[in-house]
Amino acid sequence: MSKFDKKVNSQQATAVVEAPVNTAIFAYGLNFTYNAKSAFAKHALVDINLTIEQGEFVAVVGHTGSGKTTFVQHLNALIRLQSGQLQILEHNLAAKKPDLKALRQQVGMVFQYPEYQLFADTVLDDVCFGLKNFGVEKEKREEMARDAIELVGLDFAKIKDKSPFDLSGGEKRRVALAGVLAMKPKILVLDEPTAGLDPRGKQEILSLVTELNRTQGVTVIMVSHDMNEVYENANRVVVFRDGAVAHDTTPRELFRMEQEIESMNLDVPAMAQFINELERQGFTIPDSCKTVEEVYNAVLALKGVGNA
Amino acid sequence: MLRDVTFGQYYPGNSFVHKMDARVKLVLVLLYMVGIFFIVSFVGFAFITVFLMTVILVSRVPLKSILKSIKGIIFLLVLTALLNVFFNKGESDPLVSLKITERWSIEIYKEGLIFAAKMLLRLTYLVIGSSILTLTTTPVDLTHAVESLLKPLRIIRFPVHEFALIMSLTLSFIPSLIEETDRIIRAQKARGADFDTGGLIKRAKAFVPILIPLLVGGFRRAEELANAMNSRCYEGATKRTQMRVMKLGWRDAVGLIFVLLFFATIFVVYGMKDAWGAISWLDWLYF
Repeated sequence: MSKFDKKVNSQQATAVVEAPVNTAIFAYGLNFTYNAKSAFAKHALVDINLTIEQGEFVAVVGHTGSGKTTFVQHLNALIRLQSGQLQILEHNLAAKKPDLKALRQQVGMVFQYPEYQLFADTVLDDVCFGLKNFGVEKEKREEMARDAIELVGLDFAKIKDKSPFDLSGGEKRRVALAGVLAMKPKILVLDEPTAGLDPRGKQEILSLVTELNRTQGVTVIMVSHDMNEVYENANRVVVFRDGAVAHDTTPRELFRMEQEIESMNLDVPAMAQFINELERQGFTIPDSCKTVEEVYNAVLALKGVGNA
Repeated sequence: MLRDVTFGQYYPGNSFVHKMDARVKLVLVLLYMVGIFFIVSFVGFAFITVFLMTVILVSRVPLKSILKSIKGIIFLLVLTALLNVFFNKGESDPLVSLKITERWSIEIYKEGLIFAAKMLLRLTYLVIGSSILTLTTTPVDLTHAVESLLKPLRIIRFPVHEFALIMSLTLSFIPSLIEETDRIIRAQKARGADFDTGGLIKRAKAFVPILIPLLVGGFRRAEELANAMNSRCYEGATKRTQMRVMKLGWRDAVGLIFVLLFFATIFVVYGMKDAWGAISWLDWLYF
């Protein structure tokens, strides 16, 4: 758990706090108010202190209106910092004129229903849109677009000249994802990337993201309402409630607090419930077990017949 | 950021004007819009200012919300005023005369200034008057009012109900389209799109990635809505009743009489222009 203890304690002095080296995201005393100075003022974020290391897979969960989307949009400077400190990679967003272009190139943002942002005549043009905006040369652009399209599991030669509007829903979403991945972001922010997909499409997107995180060390921040998704993929969960961080722990630890989770109107994944029940009965299941298969093996090991 | 441009924002309230029948309000606003062109003198504008202030006070809508409606057309107002200043010639000598070339010169006449000032007042009051209607009437009521007022056109087979439906759908789509625009702008910004720098052409081109998804989304929504209506066996005007039946009340009578009296005076003053304008002690009416 020492990894998470680096989270800066709010009781520390209010002086400028240096961001630790190698962090992907460092937020300290982050506050945000919508419609400040008016009768409709709404405090969306209250004193957020959060440090995310490079290479982490962090799930962000919380109720509608809990501030998670507001927080996530800060990471790309789509919402400008109001007060507090925020450092993304080497960019200090409290600075007077942060280099937004460089920041947005390094932080890829996949919005909800990203297929609704497609616009170009061909898939290739659409995937190249970001690259073009960030000033990548033409030859290089096509190469990077090809990599991205193949990465999301589409056939580059077959699809590159098609209109994005002729594709199926799942393909559209992957093209949109490729448009973000083409820029080779160091941090990937996803807002409910699997919403509205069938189980298979969901699995494909999730394994792609997990793969990027594991093999290329891309830091992943994923907003999700699907606790199964969170449980199986993330190695850290941040729970937002009323604009503040309510919990910041591993999925396993979080889902042990069944009552607390349910009081926040979130579900406990079936597998986590099963493990919790086993633990209540006095069995110990290793923390690494998440999938049905892993838990099955662990149970067999408990009985002394497994291969584990 | 785009949320600020919503036009005709309804200001919830419970005042006399809010409670008036939407049909009556609509008719009165139309009358007002015509009537304002019959005001020819500054004295008349002074009267209409008092009239408007009375209505605003009765409606209990803050002046700030009303002035907001002018903000959107301020460019148009200034442009109209300027054009009128420069292109109106008077009989007396020009106040300012600036020769540019042999054949071109800029001349400003007293009559031009007066005309421009009146035009500016007229347009401003036009917008203020109609914004009182939209601020005190919900879009739904307004659509019902239009439908109800157009009913006589059914005789010539004008599809009144469909027309009203189109209107109310348009109105209800505006907020969701604004929201969608906001979202698309954010998404394209995240991909490095830049809307704030470059020349005119570059900026115009930067809007393509917003407009196309917006159009596609608009068609998608329209189709979904059409399907939803079909699957509920929607059949248009045949034998449909309304949940809220509009009724005229005493407020409508009072409002109607008040406004009618006011404009009757204005029309009389306008109509007697030739006769009364000649009387020297009455000429202040027509300044």
